Amino acid sequence: MAPIALEALSKRYPNGVLAVDALDFTIADGEFFALLGPSGCGKTTLLRTIAGLESSTGGRLLLGDRDVTHLQPGKRDVAMVFQDYALFPHMDVADNIAYPLRIRGMGKADRRVKAAETGSGLGLDALMERRPGQLSGGQQQRVALARAMACQPSVFLFDEPLSNLDARLRLEARTFLKKLQKELGVTTIFVTHDQAEALAMADRMAVMEAGKIRQIGTPTEIFHRPANTFVANFIGSSPMNLLTATATGADELTIGGQRVRAPRGVRLATDRTVTVGARPEYVALVPDGSDNALTGVVTIIENLGATSLLSLELVGAEEVAVQVMVPEGSEPAIGEQVHARYDHDRTLVYDGESGELIAGEVAESNRLTKAAPG
Amino acid sequence: MSITAPPADIAMPEAGPSSAMVARSFLVRVLFYVLMALITVFFALPMLWLVLAPFDATPRLTIKVPLFTLDNFRILFDNPYAMRSLLNAVILAVGTMLIVLVVGALASYALSRVRIPGRDALLYGLLLLSSIVTGTAAMVPIFLLMTDLGLIDTQLGVVLVMTGGLLPAAIFILKDFMDATPRSYEESAKVFGANPLQILRDVVIPIARPGLATIAVWAMVNAWGNFLVPFILLRDPDKYPAAVVMYTFYTEGGQPQLGLISAFSLLYSIPVVIAYLVVSRRYGFRFHGGIKS
Repeated sequence: MAPIALEALSKRYPNGVLAVDALDFTIADGEFFALLGPSGCGKTTLLRTIAGLESSTGGRLLLGDRDVTHLQPGKRDVAMVFQDYALFPHMDVADNIAYPLRIRGMGKADRRVKAAETGSGLGLDALMERRPGQLSGGQQQRVALARAMACQPSVFLFDEPLSNLDARLRLEARTFLKKLQKELGVTTIFVTHDQAEALAMADRMAVMEAGKIRQIGTPTEIFHRPANTFVANFIGSSPMNLLTATATGADELTIGGQRVRAPRGVRLATDRTVTVGARPEYVALVPDGSDNALTGVVTIIENLGATSLLSLELVGAEEVAVQVMVPEGSEPAIGEQVHARYDHDRTLVYDGESGELIAGEVAESNRLTKAAPG
Repeated sequence: MSITAPPADIAMPEAGPSSAMVARSFLVRVLFYVLMALITVFFALPMLWLVLAPFDATPRLTIKVPLFTLDNFRILFDNPYAMRSLLNAVILAVGTMLIVLVVGALASYALSRVRIPGRDALLYGLLLLSSIVTGTAAMVPIFLLMTDLGLIDTQLGVVLVMTGGLLPAAIFILKDFMDATPRSYEESAKVFGANPLQILRDVVIPIARPGLATIAVWAMVNAWGNFLVPFILLRDPDKYPAAVVMYTFYTEGGQPQLGLISAFSLLYSIPVVIAYLVVSRRYGFRFHGGIKS
């Protein structure tokens, strides 16, 4: 039970690669915090640095009120669950769970009792005598969790906890983990590359790219107001449409040679290049003759169950692709010319060069936000 | 399952091979088995001799029905040096095995986990040198070295020299096993607070056990069969291991006493066979890391 503070924490590898670049943020006590990002962004390195498996090359790390920057992993009072669980194959489940206690010098009888307690809390009663090789993936994960819980650390660190599970089990495990963390109230950091997982489980999250944090906030904030095009593109089960546009008038944009109205409340200087961010869920097909719509030809239809994802190529600008999500049953045919209009209250505008957010916010359904002028 | 006839207008290829092809493949198969049988016999004959000759009153260098007798064994048991030498061989083999195992395990673990420049060059260099150092090329320098160290005519000296010869290869092979042990086990233990020795004891050694068992048997067998090193370094016949004593089974006229040699060889080979069977049963022999869990 401890807050975590990073002060300009850096990790540079001996070969010169800067994996973690002067990160500065805090995690509150009891928070379920996600580190999200693509492969190679430094999230696992950051987790390992917090655990003590990698030594930082700059800055400070505080767990609670202790400066643990140069402390050995065993003394930091953290517990880590690895992606492959790392259950010792030559010990049975009870011994595995009791291992941290054994290292701390607890006696054999006490250890077995505590291990049995922790194990039964996670439904492992029947499995205590088995070897890890005789367990299913979900059971192995629970044993790994029990082992981490047994020593009652102040911080849990999970390295891609769900990626070793098959798809259906993953969804169940998500709920299970969230519930467990809430009950235990232990500060938890988990690393994932799956944005849906992060949005679903985390209280707060950080999106990382190339060793830097691109945005930090609650899942709601990050989903509704991605601070830059990287985050906008990364978050969301279907990638957000990021369309290059030029301002041609106070509240008019030209996308692929077609003129449309800018999102509500946005005012831009003429000829400014911007990127328009519109989620496929908030782009709708409108009938012929509607204004402020982009005209395109349907090239691909992807069936997503209750909805379908259409890919359009704009007429006159075939390199510009727009994706539109339509309810099932209303898909046009491939090759058909259709008109798509983005929701003016749920579209964002980013600066064309820096990718930073200028205006807009994906509003929640009953709330309209006045976007700031650009 | 019903077989439907193909439509009449499709031309079917001739079903099955022709009889000439069948005969030829049969002949090839027969020749193959004959060849295998010959090769097997070639290797099996000496083994057969080893099993038959000790029990023969008049052994020759041929396979023949033995004139059954246990005299050869009786003579051996009466010979004080013969039995003593088997014990010496055990001492030397076990001593070498223990040092190679302990030092090799620690060294290979360290070399596997630590990345220092020149590590691979060091390993390859050691490996190459070790095969020279225990061979005939280094006979004289080793003798002089041992004399200077005062380890001439001691079993400790023999053990150390044999260990020195086996250790580089052992480290090389063990490092491969250590490399194949996933690091997440150790990192997991480390985060729980285990120090390196605890990690070695609780995690690395149990997981690398098959590799360690393989190296243990390999070291024992090498030490068991080593003739040159004890022959050079030992003076006292009481300390001779079996390999050296066998050299002395000649009659006054210089004739090898086949009965004694074969009987002794049979006794000499039994412990090795037992060791192999025990390890093979428990761990299975693998010269690589095995499949990861």
